[in-house]
Amino acid sequence: MLLREVDYARPATVEEAISLLAAHDGARALAGGQTLVNVMKARAAAPDVLVDLADLEELRAIGFSSDGLLEIGAMVTYAQLVASSEVEVARPILAEVAATIADVQVRNRGTVGGNVCVSDPTNHLPPLLVTLGASFTIRGAGGERTVPAEEFFVGVYVTAVGEGELLTKVSVPPSAGAGDGFSGVTIGVHGTYIANAAATVSDDGVRVALGCVDAVPVRATAMEEALAAGDLSEIAVRAAAEGLGATLDPPADAHGSADYRRRVAEVSAVRAVLQAAARRKGA
Amino acid sequence: MAGPARSRTISLDVNGEQIEYDVPARRLLVHFLRDDLGLTGTHVGCDTGNCGACTVHLNGEPVKSCMLLAVQADGAGITTVEGLAQDGELTALQQAFNAHHALQCGYCTPGMLMSATALLSKNPSPSEEDVRIAIQGNICRCTGYVNIVEAVVAAGKGT
Amino acid sequence: MTTVTDQATTTLKKGFVGQSIPRKEDKRLVQGLGTFFDDVRRHGMGYVHFVRSPYGHAKIVSIDVSKALELDGVYGTITGDEVAIQTDPFFEMSVEPGGNIKDYALAVGRVRHMGEPVAAVCAATRELARDAADMVEVEYDALPVLTDSEEAFKDEVVLHDDAGSNVVWSGVFDWGDVDQALAEADHVVKIERLHFHRFSSTPLECAGALVEYDRGTGEWTLTCNHQMPGVGAIWMAPALRVGIDKLRFVTHDIGGGFGNKICLHPQYVVLCLMARKLARPVQWTEWRTDQHTANAHGNERTFLDVEVAVKADGEMTGFKVRALDDCGAFPRYEPLGCIIWAQVTPGLYAWRNIRVDFTQVCTNKSPVSPNRGYSRMQHLWLTERIIDVVASELGFDPVELRKKNYVKTEQMPYETPNGCVYDSGDYAAALDLALELIDHGSIEARRKDAEARGKLLGFGIGSTLDSGTNNFGQSTLLNPDLQFSGNNEAAAVKLDIFGEVVVTLGTVPQGQGHETTAAQVVADILGCTPDQVNVRRGHDTWFNSHAGFSGTYASQFAFTGLGAVKGAAELLRDEMVKLAAFVLQAPEEAIELAEGFARIKDGPEEAALPFMALGAIVNANNAFLPPDFNPTLNHRYVCRPYFGMVDTEKKTGQLTLTYATQIHAAVVEVDPETGVVDLVDYAAVDDCGVRINPQIVEGQVHGATAHAIGAALSEEFVYDEEGTLLTSNFYDYHVPHALDMPPLKTGAMESPSPVAPLGAKGMGEGGGGGIHCICAAIQDALASAGKAIVYDSCNPPHRVWSMLQDPEATRANVSVTSR
Repeated sequence: MLLREVDYARPATVEEAISLLAAHDGARALAGGQTLVNVMKARAAAPDVLVDLADLEELRAIGFSSDGLLEIGAMVTYAQLVASSEVEVARPILAEVAATIADVQVRNRGTVGGNVCVSDPTNHLPPLLVTLGASFTIRGAGGERTVPAEEFFVGVYVTAVGEGELLTKVSVPPSAGAGDGFSGVTIGVHGTYIANAAATVSDDGVRVALGCVDAVPVRATAMEEALAAGDLSEIAVRAAAEGLGATLDPPADAHGSADYRRRVAEVSAVRAVLQAAARRKGA
Repeated sequence: MAGPARSRTISLDVNGEQIEYDVPARRLLVHFLRDDLGLTGTHVGCDTGNCGACTVHLNGEPVKSCMLLAVQADGAGITTVEGLAQDGELTALQQAFNAHHALQCGYCTPGMLMSATALLSKNPSPSEEDVRIAIQGNICRCTGYVNIVEAVVAAGKGT
Repeated sequence: MTTVTDQATTTLKKGFVGQSIPRKEDKRLVQGLGTFFDDVRRHGMGYVHFVRSPYGHAKIVSIDVSKALELDGVYGTITGDEVAIQTDPFFEMSVEPGGNIKDYALAVGRVRHMGEPVAAVCAATRELARDAADMVEVEYDALPVLTDSEEAFKDEVVLHDDAGSNVVWSGVFDWGDVDQALAEADHVVKIERLHFHRFSSTPLECAGALVEYDRGTGEWTLTCNHQMPGVGAIWMAPALRVGIDKLRFVTHDIGGGFGNKICLHPQYVVLCLMARKLARPVQWTEWRTDQHTANAHGNERTFLDVEVAVKADGEMTGFKVRALDDCGAFPRYEPLGCIIWAQVTPGLYAWRNIRVDFTQVCTNKSPVSPNRGYSRMQHLWLTERIIDVVASELGFDPVELRKKNYVKTEQMPYETPNGCVYDSGDYAAALDLALELIDHGSIEARRKDAEARGKLLGFGIGSTLDSGTNNFGQSTLLNPDLQFSGNNEAAAVKLDIFGEVVVTLGTVPQGQGHETTAAQVVADILGCTPDQVNVRRGHDTWFNSHAGFSGTYASQFAFTGLGAVKGAAELLRDEMVKLAAFVLQAPEEAIELAEGFARIKDGPEEAALPFMALGAIVNANNAFLPPDFNPTLNHRYVCRPYFGMVDTEKKTGQLTLTYATQIHAAVVEVDPETGVVDLVDYAAVDDCGVRINPQIVEGQVHGATAHAIGAALSEEFVYDEEGTLLTSNFYDYHVPHALDMPPLKTGAMESPSPVAPLGAKGMGEGGGGGIHCICAAIQDALASAGKAIVYDSCNPPHRVWSMLQDPEATRANVSVTSR
């Protein structure tokens, strides 16, 4: 409802931001604030220092690396993703999914970096970026490093970004003919996900990641292996998904039992793969 | 570079007026607008950033002012519902709300107007679906949204 | 001058009444210039934050406010111990043992629901009050938690020692001879269990008040959003040990009420005590989380052992049921809910043999409040479930079965088995209109089309009655010692010195457009335009135009509120005519009020007095009037609907006067793999008699429908076993947003009420029809996939999915015995 006392700084450069984060023990980066402000209102967390990244223009860019990776600055908003011609050309599923996050107001402020650094199991981007094979660039006092998606998401609210470090960009391989899909059940239209799945179908095979069912996105490896042979007909995909639910240990809450989530995870995986298969170039 | 501070003197444009104010870092933008500036047209309807009753424009874009700290608005331009009508002249959208009975208790109305005004400035003739997407972040418990959508579409068509 | 009368309906010449005039309220509201109570400031005011129980049930071992008081900027605190000394418990309506419950403004010794206020802190800013609340140290000893009404009924854990039982009230209602009807029936359909869930209308503006205490006069002024101040004062004054005149309620604009702003007296008493203790104005705005956990839920009701008597041709002759109502931790407005449903005992149907064995219990959940549709909605859901279960089990078409059993329009006014009179309506015609709007003829084709897309299509109807204008005498059917009966509402209309027409209402509008509709009625009577009628905003005790039952609730404004306005305006008109006749030296019959003048009909131009002239004469220039003629041009009128007495033995009587009809129809598509329900088509037909302002009526239908859709598909207050509310914010308690709404078609009919002053019935609570029709549609959709019976009023995806997985579990609930 109302925040505790907090100190606020608005650095002008990424270096300043990093040194502020390193200098203060209870410091947290403030990106779009669409999660952090809520957390602070509920007093579930109370950082001593907020380091506002608003002025860091460097983190707002969308572009391509020299080897053709789509680079999305950590402070790029969902609205920017939706409007970006680079994203539309390189990996449109990102814009499609971002367009379903909450509402216009949230999309005007919420950022890609915020979405992944929160590592909330119900967030949209983590399972999607896992199937897309994204990588995450982290900068700290000691320099810069890049971490693949599987290593980035460590636990609930925990990522590979350590104390005194900042996520600066997310890099996503361009489609190159791959098809991407995303499916799930939400609490109301554009609401929070109860269970979801992201899928990519490419020449390298099928990748499927489930959200909401564990602390971090879960790769449905058995399903991926069953589909390695290349038969992506509905019968084959359904068969490949059989038993997927039984391997999961999802939470139960007011929106569904563990069994319900298992079931929705299976159904979402099937639908995401079929969607991806249909969109694959030359499918 | 200034170190972290408990409060900050912010400088911002609110409804065309330049304001300078010293605010605690923890103060939400919505409470700054309502309690410090006396602009009570922007409302608080929830405590988790869902309802959109607090919607204002930040540099022309609709945002939920309960999900922003006042200090984050330093250097920005804010428009609230009080900044829509000029000299008591209601905008076409405000008139359409009246003509189409798009409000009952009026509590969600300022937020709705801000979201719809932003839509119309980007998309002068929106479809019903466009409108629903634009006001998806504004909860109304009185109208069922039916007349609100009708009013915005009508304002778009200039009827 | 005040006059009280029984209702004699007159046909009002329709001028502005009946037109969809744009609302007067809008101009300020669209500019953000409305005044909601939180917008109001007072010099030196303090902000209050309540310290609330995190437990569902616990003993309070100790409360230590000392650290909070040390914080700079904190003005003071208050705890339950102080409240227990300075106030008396609130008046309880039930008989023993429920009537022995002690309900104080703060928890005293024990907390009985999560979120129950335990202490309050007051500080210079909102943030400081919030900080100080964190510093209040409360020690609790957890107690066993009751979240299930059937468990509570066993009384193994008792919530209120003063009562010694969790039963707030119980009684049997028995009309006709249901045992005979069951014996003679060709089929007896039994339904073991149906559950109407907990939800509420969650108005967007939360509750609250700014309270000032005048030490010189001992009076409190509450600038607030209480929607029924008459009753609020009746609770608060004795608790505070003062006369009712020491409480002044002032409301301005209110952001929705829907019955959720009726039981605010506990928090308001705390504010009154603090304002007095701290000698400064104090303000409290409820947080959304607090509204969900600790303000007002709708009644949760379980229906057990339903038995329905059906003849071979589908005529339903009676039913019996055991109803178990869960009112949460404190009754407050309850047990009124234990009788209010009886306003619509047979629903829309003609059966004459009905027995309801009704019990209400306390549990460790939020107290309930008369949420939109109060108690009738729950009961009508039961009757609609019965119709659809009977139809599906015996192979009748739900449309035909309804038409066969509906009360017929030729039978109106229709006396129900318990003495209520349905004033008017044509249910079959309304149903036909709904079917037309939803293109009923195309349903089967649409079902096939949906099937091809892998979806299960279902169609359902929900019939509902919106009973309005309460007879508070119904409370004596629960407790014969209560001194409540009848109803009333007041209004005042005057002509000011410059000829301005000013109206003050006793009602407390929260969006229903009272300023506009009152102006329409007055304009027609006084011969001016609604623009020339100034209706003062809100309610103010000092307007002195309210009565004991004043407020906006129970679908009665069009009857009692506008009835009072009409009465006052007619008194004013008669006086204006008399005065003009005197001044113009003409007989009264020759005078008309038109176009803002009092003039001689078809007379010369000079024989016309503008309102300003009349106002000036009476207020400033009256010496030439004869001593026996004393016009005031200022009239207060109390509309007192006439009900007659209720029979406490047979539990019969006229419990409400008007019955608006709503018939809803829905088409759903169910995703059989996930249980997600899509509302693909929707129609609602409303008949509330004469519509004063059709656009406003339609707006109410839209809003009530949205409430029903939310309740039917996602809105549920879910508790875990520890009594923790799991759906306390708008993420988890999902209400319809713009993209959740179906294409909504509405139709209207007008069956004028023979008993209402303007032929207009109260309306606004008919939305329950949406819950009924969505349940019916889901059941219809599932008919081809295991034929599950819908047993709960809320069907989010996980519940629908469970019904698809194990339809037999729901079907085990139902049995049919045939001759």
